[in-house]
Amino acid sequence: MRRTGSVAKMAGVIKKTTGLVGLAVSPNPHERLRILYSKILASLQTMPQDAAYRKYTEQIISGRYSLLKAEPDVEKLEKKINCGQIEEVIAQAETELSLSRKMSEWKPWEPLIDEPPPNQWKWPI
Amino acid sequence: MAASLVRLVRGGVCRSLNLHRTAALAPARLEATTAETRPTVRPKDAVAHQQLSAFGEYVAEILPKYVQQVQVTCYNELEVMIHPEGIVPVLTFLRDHTNAQFRNMIDLTAVDIPSRQNRFEIVYNLLSLRFNSRIRVKTYTDELTPVDSSVSVHHAANWYEREVWDMYGVFFANHPDLRRILTDYGFEGHPFRKDFPLSGYVEVRYDDELKRVVAEPVELTQEFRKYDLNSPWESFPAHRESKDAPKLEAGDKPPVTK
Repeated sequence: MRRTGSVAKMAGVIKKTTGLVGLAVSPNPHERLRILYSKILASLQTMPQDAAYRKYTEQIISGRYSLLKAEPDVEKLEKKINCGQIEEVIAQAETELSLSRKMSEWKPWEPLIDEPPPNQWKWPI
Repeated sequence: MAASLVRLVRGGVCRSLNLHRTAALAPARLEATTAETRPTVRPKDAVAHQQLSAFGEYVAEILPKYVQQVQVTCYNELEVMIHPEGIVPVLTFLRDHTNAQFRNMIDLTAVDIPSRQNRFEIVYNLLSLRFNSRIRVKTYTDELTPVDSSVSVHHAANWYEREVWDMYGVFFANHPDLRRILTDYGFEGHPFRKDFPLSGYVEVRYDDELKRVVAEPVELTQEFRKYDLNSPWESFPAHRESKDAPKLEAGDKPPVTK
């Protein structure tokens, strides 16, 4: 993977493959990530201010967003984010977006639905 | 934690007993016995323990609606106990969140503890390849309450849930194809339940007159019933030997045993 990346860089073209089955090379990762991150942040805006999910996800996403804005080179950006190739980062952003939309439906920041029955988690009995 | 301590202490005692025995049998090899004085204790990985408990707290803080308890076992396994309504949200969160990415379902199974109000524990084992870590999610149900199927989150859960349905009789709501998977055609009952007898209810044999396999209720001859019932799968407690069994007087012959 690394080698194809560096060869591609020398040749001045985008890399041919991610080396992962079913994960195609993204032609314009910056554009794609920018759209995804702004959508995630917009979806997080609908949650209450003190929800832990909103707090932590905003932290992750805005951190990555600022790295994305600062670094135009894809390979350096991958190293800075340090979470796999840029295509994997895009996949993570996609799942995070779908999760954030489901989260605003589930509202997991509400208090516990029901206490467990006594001794439910006691082991050994 | 207390249980782990007890286990460690017991391990140490066994080890020292073994040492004495080897010393008595082979006094020539004393140097091997004198070197070890402390019991061998499993080394503690404080860093991994710390990371796991921090992640457990993170999950509990994000999903307070569903998470009832979080614990790290003495073997450094993170366990999250959740309310049965939260199965799909919790598993989806663990799969899709950037800091979790538990994309693989390794195992799904159940545990039967008949003395509890909710006798079945459903256990999900997940793996995150990205962060090289594992997590265990546990929830509970009883014989009648259906549990939400996790097939919509992990396709791997399909056959596991059929297996749990077959073996324990836990019903999974919204499962695409919930039917028997391991037992024979026409089998009745759920064989992994603790109250299912070890011998089963029916036995099959080939009938030469009818020229086919017939199923008949199990008939155990009386000799077969006389086995030691001090097992955790005790199936006939009524036939257990009572504590105050008549002792043999001196001079009596012990009964012939086969």
